[in-house]
Amino acid sequence: MNFLNPLEQSCGPDINANSRRAFISRLGAGLGGVALWQVLDRDLLVAAEAVTPLAHHAPKAKRVIQLFMNGGASQMDLFDYKPELFRRGGQTFDPGKGLRVEAATSEPGKVLPPQFPFRQHGQCGRWVSDLLPHVAGCVDDMAFFMAMASKTNVHGPGSYLMNTGFLLPGFPCFGSWVSYGLGRIADNLPTFVVLPDAKGLPYNQKGNFSSGFLPSQHQGTLIQASAAHPMADLAPPESERFITSASSQDGLALLEKFNRSHQAARTEDSRLDSRVRAYELAAKMQLSAPEVFDVSTEPEQVRRAYGLEDPASQDFGKRCLLARRMIERGVRFVQVWSGAGGPTNNWDNHTNIAKELPPMCAATDRPIATLLNDLKSRGLLEDTLVLWNTEFGRMPFSQGSEGRDHNGGTFVGWMAGAGVRGGAAYGESDPWSWKAQTDVTTPYDFHATVLHLLGINHERLSVRFNGANRRLTDVHGHVIASLLS
Amino acid sequence: MANEKVTEELCSYARKGNCLIGADRLGLVALVLPLSYSRMVRTPRLCIPTQSLARGGVFCCGTFSVWWNRTLRRVLTLLLMSVSLTSEVTADETTTPRTNGWWALRALSVDRPLVSGAKMIDDFIRSDLERRGMKRAPTADKRSLLRRVSFDLTGMGPSPGELDRFLADPSPEAYEQVVDRLLSSPRYGERWARHWMDVAHFAETHGHDQDRIRTNAWPYRDYLITAFNSDKPYSRFVREQVAGDVLYPDDPKAAIALGFLAAGPWDESSLRDIREDTLDRQMARYLDRDDMVTTVMQTFASVTVQCARCHDHKFDPISQRDYYSLQAVFSGVDRANRAYDPDLSIHQRRRELQKHLSLLEQGDLSELSRPENRALLQRWESARSLAIASWKAIAPETFLSASGAELQRQSDGSFFVSGRHGPTDVYTMTLRNLPSRITAVRLEVMPDDRLPQKGPGREANGNLHLSEFQLQLFTPLSTNGLVVPVRHASADYNQPGWTIEQAIDGNEKSAWGVHPQEGEPHYAVFALAKPLEVPTGSQLVFVLNQLHGGHCIGRFRLSVSDHESVDDLVALPISLDRLLTRSLAERSKEDTSHWSQAVLRHRWESELSHLPLPHYVYAAASDFAPDGGLKPAGLPRPVHILKRGEITQPLAMVGPGALSCIAAAGLPGFPGAESTDEGSRRAALADWLTHPMNPLTWRSIVNRVWHYHFGRGLVGTPNDFGKMGDLPTHPELLDALAVWFRDEAQGSFKRLHRLIVTSQTYQQASRNPAVAPDVDPDNKWLARMNRTRLDAEQIRDTVLQISGRLDLRMGGPSDVQFDLQPGIHVTPKVDYTKFNVDDAAGRRRGVYRFLFRTLPDPFMDALDCPAGDQWMPVRNAQVTVQQALGLWNSAFMTRQCEHFARRLEQSARDVDGEVREAFRWVFNRLPTAEELTDFANYAKRHDLANLARVLFNSNEFVFID
Repeated sequence: MNFLNPLEQSCGPDINANSRRAFISRLGAGLGGVALWQVLDRDLLVAAEAVTPLAHHAPKAKRVIQLFMNGGASQMDLFDYKPELFRRGGQTFDPGKGLRVEAATSEPGKVLPPQFPFRQHGQCGRWVSDLLPHVAGCVDDMAFFMAMASKTNVHGPGSYLMNTGFLLPGFPCFGSWVSYGLGRIADNLPTFVVLPDAKGLPYNQKGNFSSGFLPSQHQGTLIQASAAHPMADLAPPESERFITSASSQDGLALLEKFNRSHQAARTEDSRLDSRVRAYELAAKMQLSAPEVFDVSTEPEQVRRAYGLEDPASQDFGKRCLLARRMIERGVRFVQVWSGAGGPTNNWDNHTNIAKELPPMCAATDRPIATLLNDLKSRGLLEDTLVLWNTEFGRMPFSQGSEGRDHNGGTFVGWMAGAGVRGGAAYGESDPWSWKAQTDVTTPYDFHATVLHLLGINHERLSVRFNGANRRLTDVHGHVIASLLS
Repeated sequence: MANEKVTEELCSYARKGNCLIGADRLGLVALVLPLSYSRMVRTPRLCIPTQSLARGGVFCCGTFSVWWNRTLRRVLTLLLMSVSLTSEVTADETTTPRTNGWWALRALSVDRPLVSGAKMIDDFIRSDLERRGMKRAPTADKRSLLRRVSFDLTGMGPSPGELDRFLADPSPEAYEQVVDRLLSSPRYGERWARHWMDVAHFAETHGHDQDRIRTNAWPYRDYLITAFNSDKPYSRFVREQVAGDVLYPDDPKAAIALGFLAAGPWDESSLRDIREDTLDRQMARYLDRDDMVTTVMQTFASVTVQCARCHDHKFDPISQRDYYSLQAVFSGVDRANRAYDPDLSIHQRRRELQKHLSLLEQGDLSELSRPENRALLQRWESARSLAIASWKAIAPETFLSASGAELQRQSDGSFFVSGRHGPTDVYTMTLRNLPSRITAVRLEVMPDDRLPQKGPGREANGNLHLSEFQLQLFTPLSTNGLVVPVRHASADYNQPGWTIEQAIDGNEKSAWGVHPQEGEPHYAVFALAKPLEVPTGSQLVFVLNQLHGGHCIGRFRLSVSDHESVDDLVALPISLDRLLTRSLAERSKEDTSHWSQAVLRHRWESELSHLPLPHYVYAAASDFAPDGGLKPAGLPRPVHILKRGEITQPLAMVGPGALSCIAAAGLPGFPGAESTDEGSRRAALADWLTHPMNPLTWRSIVNRVWHYHFGRGLVGTPNDFGKMGDLPTHPELLDALAVWFRDEAQGSFKRLHRLIVTSQTYQQASRNPAVAPDVDPDNKWLARMNRTRLDAEQIRDTVLQISGRLDLRMGGPSDVQFDLQPGIHVTPKVDYTKFNVDDAAGRRRGVYRFLFRTLPDPFMDALDCPAGDQWMPVRNAQVTVQQALGLWNSAFMTRQCEHFARRLEQSARDVDGEVREAFRWVFNRLPTAEELTDFANYAKRHDLANLARVLFNSNEFVFID
């Protein structure tokens, strides 16, 4: 694979040995074998710097917070209001036309009506269930993908598809592509950060935020918000008493001197210089990162607003607050997870929707609304994109008698912030919220749309790997323009 | 041809002054710059549909269009360069016939006679350099050379002693002797097996949402290490990994190689747990086979067949039909725990017995007349009669029913049960008057007119369910009973799903039953694990647990035997034993045949059950124990061409096959679609791949090996020799090496390594003062050696080696270097931070680390060690902040610094000496005077562990000249 970093002027030490000079010389050696179009494309990206940092076109959003509901949030119990379902509760589910009804893990049961009342909210009159009273207050800032469709009804492939655009492991996730395409904003913090649920990692664990075949600096940096040491290797283990701050400081100085003299006889190799700079940046990060993780400096009312005082929302709220702090300080992409892998304590409500869904909503509703309002009041929502996603939806009929099985047929996602037409909605599912019906949004369309907001043409952000030019959107994807302002 | 038409159109377009065209040297890449509108298209020419040009060329896999305006100048410059270059190169290459097809598909050819030895390499490289006005760099200094070749061949640096010896040996053979030493070191196999694991995307968990641990994946890793160390010829290496079980049935270890096909991820939810009747299940099967097909074809043939899943390959001559034919090759296997016997004699015996049994199953009675079987039957005739005669009915002193039923002793020594009939019961019989030796116990259940449906059970249908049988011994000195272990249970008849084994499985919910053969006598035999020698004065307690819905026994008798050969006591259908009471003349031919079959089946099954338990390897398998919804396919599953790759749009069914674009004479064919023997499908592919006339296989492997030696292949894309891949920089050298490796070296990796590393090309310095840095900065033409960053394992292993903590034990289960706790669901909880670095599991070479697919070791991950979720023919070698943090702060590195410090303390008397010794270990050289002063001062101010920390983090350690 040929890597030619599009951002070589701006991405600090994460530099590949290849340089533009190298590229030109390569041309001199014959075009064959060079991923020329990539080079040209990147060149254009770099050239566009004057307009905006490193984009195909003027971006609306500079950074992203993605909130991911792990397990398959039940669309018809939250946002996809279907009066027909209330009416048909307890009847046999029959979509007509001889359509086959199947479920991934169970025998399809009777129609299960939505378990919570719905009301219309905001200027736009968006229907939201009573489970989300705070989020409901923000609907005029949000744009909804009302009919998203997955290719699968299984968590593993479903999570991969929503995060990487492929059903199989090994592909770079959305955040990695953004890191790869746009690079870092600040040099003292990671570019792409993942905040997993305190209960554990999601399905596919780090597979969902892996950089796949992209260089490893683009993978999500895991921050364990509730751990004593949220970020790995930021400091040496306390048990290693031989290390003092003086020994580290003197050591780094000696290391630099030694590296510089090694490099003096090897000036042509830019990697040697990059490594010296990597240690400078690591030192900076060691100083800056702990300050970001420390939310105790936030005023009392902010902490309360994010739900930090309430045990139900404490964990997710803290991570939403951290997300805001990171975005403020120049992190490009923050992904906040709700729910760990496994069959319970997440959004995978197979057994009893009425019992299992409310705690998940209680954990996230207030923090999400606060995050949106907080970003807005700080002016950050101007150039920050907030996304709410899940890997698929749930079935209109019951599993057992009170739960719902997986449904890749239709589900809901929303976005808010930079470049988003608040109050808008796109697409519609069938009368039972069983399958997406009109104006369907695929995960590819979703990714194409958000990349567009970031100033990236999804067809042009690609890397050649094992014989194919790989994109986040595979060979698909359309920008859903009607949700953009 | 559409392609020519497109070219012609473009050319005429250009002649009219509308655009400029550039093409690469083989004319396969066209760069088109339409001047009339601000749009640029560059697309591989062979694949341009004309209309896509008009649209701006937006389609799958590699075309693109760019709006541009500000960068016109830059694009024009590039374009003009490429055009002028094209003419230059074209003039240069007129001898290459363009019509001869794609380079990688052409037959291997060598124009000139091969020069022997490494000079072959140097000649080719030199002629290309000379043509470009360059000269190769001088030979590297001995220190650099030793470091380079040691890291390269064994993955670890030389020790100070090894360097001293090499420096002290001025003979011209010194280097070659080093090479021989390294190649014969077991460290070599460990190093090169790890390369192969990258390519196979090997890891030891499934890698999806249910990331279950594969406890039996490691034997494949050991297979690789052994294969490299024993220099297994490449052809055999390939064949074993595709169809070792079929092609080498007599080699007990060949089947372990099939771990290759199963090395990648597996979607347990979709392939085991969700419902069989879902589209998700079917789709997952196709995707799972896609992984196998991709792994095989990328690894062995360097072709990207996977690009033809949804449509014919856009760039290479691979049709969708070809692709699905390859899927059909693997449609009879799944990834599962595959049994194997490492011991040859056991392997052979198990295979024989299994074959006998399967022939018998198929009604093939030829085995019956074989002399050894006839003799066996004769022996059995007398042994069985003796065995039957050895049963002695027992007369227990006490007999109790837990539910209060009445047990009445009958005249034949049996008991009849009447009275209370509860839902469950336990009969307990105590015997004082004991024989001195017992080898087996027999339980007869008998019909009785007083029982419903004549019994032998008390339930309305006459059935019974024996949940558990237990035997307890109370010796005179003990108050507690000892449970007497039962090794094997058999019954004359087992109700389907309710077999006699379930009466000794410790599970009270499962039981033995006899439905629908009620109203007849039945019996079960419990063979003891070892003969029971009964101390005088002991009591023996027989416990019959019947815990299933009133299915209690109505009449029964217990007997014991002291017969030595418990196998002869086994329960068989009662009719067979009755036959024995008749003379030979009285038996009908059918009876005899029936009896012979039953006896032989019993003998064979019994022998099978006595063989040592098989070992398991996680591998491709067609025969394995079902696990939930994962069951053997039985016959190859039907494979259809899927329109657009959609499971909902199946087209024609296809049989096994490979690439139709390779039509070399003599390439073997494939069995038809109707072939039911899945093994023959894989064997055919193995034959096809390893055929001497297959142009892909031999080029592929020499290029892969070259890549690992030089950091870049002669083809820069080792998994892709197609049009989206790189072109060979030295096509003639590539072919010469391929032919030499195939014919001369007979596929010996060690000879290939030797040839390469003894070449002058390999031994040159990594700097060439005679070539300006901006000439060939990527070092395509090899006017110097590449400087490489050590990879994750090289760093980890060498740090352990230097710190003195490296444990060189080889093989066996992987070292788990994390804390492992049960997770919420299937995926366990893995915590690397809780692992004690000094634990024994942390000290072996990196190749033995347990590889957790969705949660790789963060330290190794930061150093670009692949996670096993993608095929990784070329590792990234980035320089990142996370890497710096890991090397500077991680528990692993900081611990090793302390160990190294202890080692240094013992090796020298003063700080200067310690610094010198540290340099000798880490850099294989002595410090300069200035370095000595700097580092000694630092070590005095802080300590030796801190000194080690600085050295391990230096560029000089991490990069190899």
